[in-house]
Amino acid sequence: MEYAVETISLTKVFSDWWGRDKVYAVEDLNLQVRYNEVFGLLGPNGSGKTTTLKMLLGLLYPTKGKTVVLGGDGADPKINARIGFLPEESYLYRYLNARETLDFYGRLFGLDRQVRKMRIEALLDMVGLTAVANRAVGTYSKGMARRIGLAQALINDPDLLILDEPTTGLDPIGTRQIKDLIKKLAERGKTILLCSHLLADVEDVCDRIAILYGGKTQAEGEVKELLQQTSKRQIVTDAISDGAVEKIKQIVQAEHADCEVTSPMDKLETFFVKTVAEAQRQATPTSGAFSTTQIGEFLAADKAQDSILDKLVSAPAGHESLSETPKTEKVAPVETSEPKPDEQLLGRLRTAEPATPEKQVDTSEVESLPDAAAGQEKIKKRVLDQLTGKPTSGDKDRESSDQGKAGDPGDA
Amino acid sequence: MRSIWAVAVNTIRQALRMKIAAIFVVLLLVLLPVLGFTTTGDGTLKGRLQTFVSYGLSLTSILLCLLTLVASVYTITSDIEQRQIFTVITKPIRRFELLFGKLLGVVLLDAGLLVLFCAIIYGITAYMPSFYAATEAERTEAANEFYTARANLVLPDLDVSKEAAEDYGKLKATGQLAQFYPGFSEKEILDQLTKRRRLEKRAAPAGHELLWEFENVRPLDPGERLFIRFKYDVSVNPPDSYVYSRWLVGDYRQIKYGTPIVTPIYEPPMRKDPIRTFREIEVPADAVAEDGYLAVAFLNVTLNNMVVIFPLEDGLEVLYKADTFTANFIRAALLILLRLIFLACLGILAASFLSFPVAMMFCLAIFVTANFSGFVLESFSYMSDSVYTVYSYTLKWVIWLLPQFDKFNPAKFLVPGRLLSWSLVARVAGLVVCVRGFLMLLLGLLIFSFREIARIVV
Ligand SMILES: Nc1ncnc2c1ncn2[C@@H]1O[C@H](COP(=O)(O)OP(=O)(O)OP(=O)(O)O)[C@@H](O)[C@H]1O
Ligand SMILES: [Mg+2]
Repeated sequence: MEYAVETISLTKVFSDWWGRDKVYAVEDLNLQVRYNEVFGLLGPNGSGKTTTLKMLLGLLYPTKGKTVVLGGDGADPKINARIGFLPEESYLYRYLNARETLDFYGRLFGLDRQVRKMRIEALLDMVGLTAVANRAVGTYSKGMARRIGLAQALINDPDLLILDEPTTGLDPIGTRQIKDLIKKLAERGKTILLCSHLLADVEDVCDRIAILYGGKTQAEGEVKELLQQTSKRQIVTDAISDGAVEKIKQIVQAEHADCEVTSPMDKLETFFVKTVAEAQRQATPTSGAFSTTQIGEFLAADKAQDSILDKLVSAPAGHESLSETPKTEKVAPVETSEPKPDEQLLGRLRTAEPATPEKQVDTSEVESLPDAAAGQEKIKKRVLDQLTGKPTSGDKDRESSDQGKAGDPGDA
Repeated sequence: MRSIWAVAVNTIRQALRMKIAAIFVVLLLVLLPVLGFTTTGDGTLKGRLQTFVSYGLSLTSILLCLLTLVASVYTITSDIEQRQIFTVITKPIRRFELLFGKLLGVVLLDAGLLVLFCAIIYGITAYMPSFYAATEAERTEAANEFYTARANLVLPDLDVSKEAAEDYGKLKATGQLAQFYPGFSEKEILDQLTKRRRLEKRAAPAGHELLWEFENVRPLDPGERLFIRFKYDVSVNPPDSYVYSRWLVGDYRQIKYGTPIVTPIYEPPMRKDPIRTFREIEVPADAVAEDGYLAVAFLNVTLNNMVVIFPLEDGLEVLYKADTFTANFIRAALLILLRLIFLACLGILAASFLSFPVAMMFCLAIFVTANFSGFVLESFSYMSDSVYTVYSYTLKWVIWLLPQFDKFNPAKFLVPGRLLSWSLVARVAGLVVCVRGFLMLLLGLLIFSFREIARIVV
């Protein structure tokens, strides 16, 4: 039981009806996913990601090698009860509506009526489909179907979540939400194995990744280790005076390093989130998804801290719209700060702490304040944090999870 | 259990919402009443009833059979082709539970629709006399011959194989085989000899009598009537084509052992009946003894001057009302349900390894063969020896595996008002569902359990 998921020289060869024309979809694959880890399986189209996941779940049988999932066989119902699976596309029963769909899967897990009802409402709310829950899912758009697929994978409060390209077809907000969700689930002790070729998504959420090509592992390791540019530093500040910038430049030049100063650009993602949040605030009608970022209360509600968190999270929807503007604004400076080398010199003022993914729930008192003033305060606090030497990467992590925890509808 | 039920409910929803069932339901809802008003049969009330029940039940049965095949095959193949199965079997449900759920769903759907349509057919037959303003005579005829469940006792075929073999031996010893049966195989000659011996037992020369004893005769009500239905064959055609006869119906043991007469014995006056035509003798049903014994005696009066033979199969039978029409009708519906259960198992077997169109073709082929299985089996019995041997070790078993729908056609019982006994229903349940259906289901479960679900074969 050392690993949540382990494959041992896993190989899958597809042959045609006559046994000819062999396709080596997966070849001698050794993966180890630890408990409570977000693991990303990357690779170009046809590199064997989906095939690997299918073998983990007993949908395909390995040609050679074996798989261990949660210490057992991935096709065993006992193990299945602890797994949530989102396939490559959301394969749903077209004639059922969203509620019936989730109810059906809930019954397959043998959940009681009450539990089912509670979870279904929580999940519908989470994926933003409460308003359209009585429409047949056959009429859903691709992204809406994807959201139901995701809700379906979470209904049993799984210990291990296997997601095959979870963000395909989702709008940027949905993508963002899923990323937040994944991070939050990881915080709550879940193990997540996802595969994708959207690198930005993987980079944001994964602790470790493996890159497949032609069914073989090409690289594997911690994201932070693989990506960190040890030769560069980056600093983010509020709009400081030109004089201050000059001073900083001087310090940098004294180090014989290059320095560039610009105003950060909004990431398109941030801009999009902001625009939609604005539309939602003005109550523009939509027949699509409209979601809060509330995570379903039942998901690992066993921890004491989570129950407090959930209370905060499930605050009534009324005041949430107030908080969205400050929240989105707050996102901007941090997210966009990454590629700005001019701020790197401030790094000298910081301790060079290792970039570990911190899973603190340290800012909950701030999050519970929904009004604009609190948002402003928080931004100030962040600047303070930066100056007092909190690590950038940890900061960023916390930043996005903050957003989710606060139950902010502005993001959706 | 809960997950099986969830799958069953989902299967029913699929059949209803994907409008698979809808087309059949609409068709039947329109056709049944139309049939009820337009059938005339031979113009009498009984004729109308018989035609309506025959067409109505056959139509319902055939359409539901097709629905069952389509629904059971579709529910599995579509799950695989549209891949919803990926999210289903990765949940804590075993594969056989999934198939059981599908089977349960299809059978429940069938049962529901069957109840609906049978209620319609029953309603129309019950009100037919009023719709049509039948005369009193027609109503009586219908009550006696249609709104009833008459049991029929036929003469058993006696075992004469020994005598036939002896005959054969004699012919062979005297070298007469080739003379009497030129070019016949041994099996054919034996068949003919057997038939001759059997007929002998049913033949009465002038002045002789034949006695048949029946057991287990259980009329519903002793106040009702018994019917002896018979047909004559003769050795030489009488000039006026009529046969004179005397009959005796009752507990013959009282005469044989000289005990006091407790149950009445009926001796109708001398009869005159045309040859090769069905005739009926009517006697009160109290002629049957307490223990269900009844004897029928026939005397070929010397006046006739020829041998009278009761043909094999339908030469003579005793009919009596053994149950009500309603009870019989319910059993007929059950018989249809059993057929549907079998077909659902067949559909699941086919869908466990074939794609939709191929599985449908497979099922339809079997369904059609099962409808003519009697004919198929019979045609094989006319084969030459060598071919027959090959057949009896191979195809015979395959065909045996098919249920004989034609033999257990419910209309065959309801139209002539014949009793469809519980024991027959139980036999069909055992043979068709428990043995054949279960075998198919088991095979389907096995294949499905080991199948690589996500494997795409082009
Ligand atoms: N049933 C099958 N029969 C034959 N070949 C298959 C089958 N399924 C997958 N393959 C092949 O296996 C290889 C890996 O496919 P897989 O679906 O695992 O890729 P993937 O990494 O998930 O790609 P994508 O990013 O496009 O989803 C491909 O070359 C594919 O053609
Ligand atoms: Mg894939």
